Parts: sequence; C-alpha cells; structure tokens
Amino acid sequence: MSDVAKPVYAGADERGGRAGMWNGRGRDLVVVAIIGMVTFTMPLWLVELGGYEALATKIVIWAIFALGFDLLLGFTGLLSFGHAAFFGTAAYITGLSLKHFSSDVIPAMAFAFVGTLLVALFIGFLTLRRTGIYFSILTLAFAEMIHALVLSSTLQRWTGGDNGLTGLHYPTLLGMNLRGIAVFYFCAVILVIMFLVAQFLKRSPFGLMLRSIKENPMRLEYTGINVWAYKMMAFLISAMYAGLAGSLMVIYEPYVATKFLHWSTSGEVVIATVIGGASTLIGPMIGAAFLMYFENVVQGMIGEQWRLILGLIFAAIVIFLPGGLIDIWRVVWRATGHKLLHGRRHNVPDMELTEPRHTDPRP
Amino acid sequence: MTATHTTEPAAGHARGGDDLLVIRGVSKRFGGLRALSNVNLTVEHGQIHAIIGPNGAGKSTLLNCMIGLIDADEGEVVFDGKPLKGLSPHNIMQRGIARVFQTPQVFPGMSLLDNVAIAALAKMNGQFRIDPFVYLSPTHPAVEEASEILRRLGLLKMAKYDAAHLSRGDKRRLELGICMACKPRLMLLDEPTAGMARHDTNRTIDLLREISATGITMIVIEHDMHVVFSLADVITCLAQGTPIAFGKPEEVRGNPKVREAYLGSSH
Amino acid sequence: MEFNAFFLNFLTGLQLGAIYALIALGLTLIFGTLGVVNFAHGALYMIAAYAAVLISRSMGFTYAIFIVPALLFLVGLLMERGLIRWFYDRPHTDQILVTFGLAIVIEEALKWIFGANNIPFALPSWGSGQVLFYGLGATVPEAIPGLRIPMPGIEGFTFFPFWRLLLIGVSAIVVLGLFVLLQFTRFGLVVRAGMRDPQMVSHLGINVTQKFAIVFGLAAAIAGVAGVFGGPVTQVSPTVGLAYLVPSFLVVVIGGMGSLLGALVAAVLLGMASAFTTGFAALAVDPFMKGFLTALQQIVVYLVAVVVLLVRPRGLFGKKGVFE
Repeated sequence: MSDVAKPVYAGADERGGRAGMWNGRGRDLVVVAIIGMVTFTMPLWLVELGGYEALATKIVIWAIFALGFDLLLGFTGLLSFGHAAFFGTAAYITGLSLKHFSSDVIPAMAFAFVGTLLVALFIGFLTLRRTGIYFSILTLAFAEMIHALVLSSTLQRWTGGDNGLTGLHYPTLLGMNLRGIAVFYFCAVILVIMFLVAQFLKRSPFGLMLRSIKENPMRLEYTGINVWAYKMMAFLISAMYAGLAGSLMVIYEPYVATKFLHWSTSGEVVIATVIGGASTLIGPMIGAAFLMYFENVVQGMIGEQWRLILGLIFAAIVIFLPGGLIDIWRVVWRATGHKLLHGRRHNVPDMELTEPRHTDPRP
Repeated sequence: MTATHTTEPAAGHARGGDDLLVIRGVSKRFGGLRALSNVNLTVEHGQIHAIIGPNGAGKSTLLNCMIGLIDADEGEVVFDGKPLKGLSPHNIMQRGIARVFQTPQVFPGMSLLDNVAIAALAKMNGQFRIDPFVYLSPTHPAVEEASEILRRLGLLKMAKYDAAHLSRGDKRRLELGICMACKPRLMLLDEPTAGMARHDTNRTIDLLREISATGITMIVIEHDMHVVFSLADVITCLAQGTPIAFGKPEEVRGNPKVREAYLGSSH
Repeated sequence: MEFNAFFLNFLTGLQLGAIYALIALGLTLIFGTLGVVNFAHGALYMIAAYAAVLISRSMGFTYAIFIVPALLFLVGLLMERGLIRWFYDRPHTDQILVTFGLAIVIEEALKWIFGANNIPFALPSWGSGQVLFYGLGATVPEAIPGLRIPMPGIEGFTFFPFWRLLLIGVSAIVVLGLFVLLQFTRFGLVVRAGMRDPQMVSHLGINVTQKFAIVFGLAAAIAGVAGVFGGPVTQVSPTVGLAYLVPSFLVVVIGGMGSLLGALVAAVLLGMASAFTTGFAALAVDPFMKGFLTALQQIVVYLVAVVVLLVRPRGLFGKKGVFE
C-alpha cells in the first residue's frame, strides 16, 4: 500500500510550499542551524542596522516569548490577552529570588518556573472551560487581576508597588557574572533550545492535535480526543515559554518593571506574533525582532508617535496580510502567477486557489 | 434480525449477546415539545440499521442522545453492555463509536493525509498523549494507515491538498475516512448522502457497504429512500418521537402506518 | 456598617454598575447579534468622553448630551461598515485582533492629540453640588444648599454627589429605552431573534446584516451616553477605556454572553461588590484586616467572576448551546 502512497510525500515539497508534517528531519535541522547562526551573530550585525548590543538580548528574550505565544495562538488557535501574567509573575519571582535568596540564576529560574506553572494552572482552569471568545476576554481579565494584586498597597512591601522591584543583586550563573555579552549568549542558547523544542512539538502527533484543535475542535472531540487536555497542555507550555522570557528579562536587566505585568505586555506579544506571522515558528521571532527594533530604534527616529505607527502597522497586517510578514513570499508567489494549494492557515479558503475537480451539486 | 419497537421497556432483550447498542425508554422534551417519547431500540452486531421518518420525527435528537450530545430526560443508552450516561464525547468515541455529521465535519485547513492521520492517532494513542520525540514521517504507522484509507476512498492523489478545497461529496467521503481510521464498532451516520448527486450517492452506498462488510455496525439516518432500501438490513420508522414501525426493508415499505406518517405530515 | 455608610456604598455601587452596564450592554448587543467581541468598545467610550469635553467647552454641556451619542452612532456605523463587516467570515481570533488593533490606534491617537494625562471635564453649573439625604425627624440646617431627599433609616443627614445620582438615573433611562426598543419594535424583534439563535442569523441574507450595522451604531451610541455622563466621574485619559472595558467584559461573561438582562444584573453585582469592599476596607481598624480588604478591593470584581465561572460556567443567564 505504501508503494502507492509514497509519491504523494515526495511531491509535497515540489512547489517550494510547506506541506507541514511531511518534511524530513534533515530540513528541520538546517532551519535550526540557520536560526542559531543568525542569533549568535546578531550582536555583530545589529549594530550596523542602528541597534546596540543589548538590543540583541532583548530581541532574543522576546523571541522566546513570542515563540511560546504562537504555540497557543498559531497552532492551537487560542488568542490569549493575558500572557503578561506569566511573563510578569516569572519576572517578579526571579527578582525576589535575586534580591532575597541568591544571586544565582538557577534557583531563581526554577522558582519562577514553578510559580508560573501554578498561575497558568489557575488561569487555564478558569478560562479553558469555554470557547475561544471567552478565553480571550478572561485571560485579559485574570492577568489584570494579578497586575492589580501585585501593585496593591498591601503587597507593596514585597513588590515595590508602582516603583517596581529594585535593588536586586547582579545575577550570576554558577559563580560567573552574568553581564553584558554573557547575558546575550546565555539567552541565545536558551532561545535555540526552545526553538528546537517547539519544532519537535510541532512535528510530533501532539503538534498535529494542536493544529486540529484550531481547525475543528468538535470534529476532534468526536474523533475520541480529549480536546480540553490538549488545550490545557498547550496553554501550560506557552505559559512556560512566557515565564522563561520573563525570568531572562530580569536577568538581563536586574530590575522588575510593573509594565511586565501590565496588559500592554500581553498586547505587545500579540502584536509581535501577528506581525511576524502566526502559526509558523520563524514568524513570531521575526515579529519580536521587528517590535523590539521599532520600540528601541525607530522610536528614536519618529519620537513618541511610534506606538501609533505600530498600531497602524498591526491593524494593516491583520486586515491585509493575516499571515504576517513571513507570508509576503506567498503574496509574491501568487502575484507571479503561481498557484497555491496549501492554504496552511486560514479557515476560509481563498477561492482562486481551489482546483475544481468536482462541482458541488448544491447551489 | 430481531429487535423491538414496542413502547414497553425491552426487558427480555437487555444485554443480549448480539446487541451492540440498546436504547431503553429514552424520552426527551424541549420545552413543551416532546421530541422523543419512550423510545426503545436495539441494534445488533454487524447490522446496518436505518432510522427513517418525516421531518421533525426526532431522528437527529435520537442520534444526539446516543452519543451524549443531548442528555435524555429519561431512559438509558447502553453500548456494549455499559451505559453511556455522563461520559464526555471523546470517551464515548474511544469506546468504539464514530459519527458522521449532517454537514461534513473535517479539518479544512489541513491536508487530507493529516485529516485521516489524526483519527488514526486517536485510535492508537488514546484520548491524550504527549510524544514530542515521535516524528510523523511517511513510515509512521498512523500515516501509513491514513494513506491506505485515502487509497480506498479514491482520494489518495489529493492527499497533500487542504480539505477545504474538496467538493461536498468528497468532504463527506473524507469524513467517512476519518471515522474508518477510528476503527469503530458502531458508526452513526446522519444523512450521509445529503446534497450529493446520484453518482456520488451511489459511490457512497458502495463505500458504506464495503465498510459494513468489515464488521462495523451502522446506524444511518436518511431521507433518501433509494439509499435506505439499498443499504439497510433493518429499518425503524420514527414519527413524532415514537417508533411506529420496525422490520426488514420490504416489511416497512408495505407498512400502512409508515405511508400515513409520511403522507400525513409532508403531503 | 451603619445604615448611613451602607446607603452611600449602595449608591456608589449603583453608580459604578451604571457605567459598567452602559458599556457592557453595547458589548453584549454587538456580541449577541454579530458574534463579534469588540475590544475597541472601551476606545469608543474614550472617544465619547473626549468629544464631550470638547463640545461642552466650546458650545456647552447641553449640546454634548445630544451631539455625542449621535456622533458615536455614526462612528459605530462607520466602524461596522468600513471594517468589521469584512471580518464576519474570518476566524474569531482575527475579529478580536482587528478590534484590538483599532483600540490601540484610537488610544494612541487620543494620547497624541490630547496628551497622556487626564484632562479636566468641568461639570455644568447645574450638575455640581451634593444631594442631601435626611432621615425622618432629622433637622437639617437651612444654610445647606442643593436638593434634599428624605430617606427613612438614615440617622441625621448625609451627602451624595448629584452628578453620580444623575448618572444612575440616565443609565436607568437608557436601559429602559433599550428595553422598549427591543421589545416593542420590529427592529427589536429582528435583533432579539438574532440574539436568540445566532445560527439562524448566519443563514440569513445581507439585509439582516445591514440591520445589524445599526445595532453596532446603537451600541456605540450607548457608549456615547456613557462617555458624556460618565466622563466627569471616571476621568478622561487615554487609559480609561481599558480600565472600564475589562470589568465590562467580566460583566458580559458573568451575565452570560449575549444576555441583556444578565449584563444588567451582573453590572449591578460587580458595582456593589466593588463599592462594598471599598467601604469595608475604609472602616476596618485591624491592620491585617485592612490590608486584606484593601487588596481584596483591587481584585474583587475578578473574584466574583471566578466564583460565577466555577458555579455556572455559562454565566448567570447563559443558555446551553448559545455561543459554545
């Protein structure tokens, strides 16, 4: 039987399109290698583009954040507006550990991991019981709840209230100082590892289930799959990525800003992911780089209106290029008269892409 | 080929060795409307059991009660000796029931191969598993099985295309493929040929016969009498939420009550 | 808690609930008929508040009362026809994303034009001052100006800002008006049908969709009323939109998505919960209790949501099968 079947896979890559699951592992490794190279050399070439060395660290951290976010939005189809809760919780726990416990980052990150997991279980349990719409609203609400709680005058003694958490020790890793370029390489290694993890997840049956939740959760449930469990798992994994990014943010700059818990952080990760291209792994990282570049470099050129411009870019991309920046090749491909039959992302098919084989007997 | 259509509880029938699905005294009301009243039904292993009846007779409600989408007010549904009450849909499906919906439900943005592989994985791995180091290569058993099923459905040459591009008839067949990959013992089909041209309908009938020949029991809700009479081993006719006739196709065809139910309601 | 404090907290709760209700009714109207979650609804409220400030500065507050809701109706209509309607066929996430994008653009544009800080919204001369509530048999000094209302149970007398009382009244009138519109007109009939069976709506033709554009305008106009009367209370700054959008979302969820009555009940519930925890926190003497209540006051609306979601996942008035 597989004799008949095999040509199908062989042809899957012919169009330069992505057939998703059926590419070889080798190709994945090439992608990882390229990502690694681009990441590790970033401090060298980013300066040429008007950035600075520390910006590379920020980009890497936000790339981790956006990558995890996209496992939820792009692959599972759940739009969270509350990821600041995980980013910020991890940041605060890391900060508290650096301040009061030890300057070593390993216990700090371990505490942050556990804390984030607990917060994610709490929020996930409350928000995942219903459909996507509820999920978006409720994640926003519960993240705001955590923000309000941390900034409340009662907890001010520990969290520093509106001033954020200050006076942290400079972080160390097993006795080595983590400063400057060392932080960058620390974060970059973690990014490449997390990218690899995401790629494994994407290619595994688990990843296939996540994608099918986005496509048709009812069909999946009626295929004998516990949709809720998969959603919860995706949510937890995504929250851990966010928590990891939050920890790294404090290690990069030993100060916990209240903004890390604010909804605008949730909003920014949505913006980064969507601008770059949801439901791909590379898109969100490009989006994170774009966002950070915009926030730190372009801001210097156009001044305070950068947020307005960013909002306009975001809206324009949602309207005209729902696949994000990474989808531009698709637009070009089509404009040059090619056909695309793998409409990988959208629930509504592009009609001009169809290959009319049978006509529908129904009007 | 025996089953009851009486309104008394099918006492003598319970847990018979040949009965795969037993419905006992199921009633359901929607507000003031009595959708089902005291329905008793037994489906034997290997049968194709058609449920017919005019619009609003309660066919779809009955099907939804069978899989727990709707909770019956009274009565119970017993599958393979165990009641299904209180189980979530995925648990019921894991027990060996598969369902084909009235509007074809597939995963539109995914390739046909993905579509069927999902179901094959659901059968192999159960309701939940994380396996990040498993790689879905063409030699993965679920993928091989999926391509074999697509070949049987005649969809293999489109295997890499998105399901969204399929015609309605092909979507239906893909959905059948998804259900086949679940390797169910009982398949529930809600108007499997609705909206198909005669040519597609006949292909579907052949396909269903073929599936049935592998030992899968089927319950089919159908309007098209051509389909019913070319497929069914046994027919139950529902009218106003109650079974009014039961028997082999030729018995039901001649039953005056059935004629009355159809003529009386839809002219 | 004494009756006087209870009464004032009750009024504060009603007033908070009034603003929540005005925003949430619009949200739930849009959601119920069009199936769209409007993340830009808080931004509409802000547009209304800023417009009200500008109009009342240049022409007088009375003009703002009429112009702003009409203006917001147009804005809503424009938003639906110009943008939202292209998203009915797109996934829900895209709908949320586009309204979210719009919210950012509006917020940032307002920040650019008016600055990031609160701008003063002066009450009209007839609207300032306090209302005096006095108990039976209390003697009220003649020198105190303003409205006086007898209220049995009150010891002596107590004050409540007139404007906040007005806000409650206006909100009640809007709710009543909406009820009449939906219950007794043909337009209302279509809208209610749409809210009851969203599946049916999706099968209906374009004309009905156009009717729902009016629903969007109506919801925006209600946000307009909220902006005019709520602006002086909530302050007028670019962050106020989200500050009120989040509790209003909770109101919609607690009430049950798409249920107008639910939204109303939930709005009052959240307003009361918030007002009374604040009231108790102010009264608490024990430092631990005070700290606890102060923290609770920040998150009580969310906790109410947690409890409701655990006990009734579909919300207080949510129906099975609707927007599952």
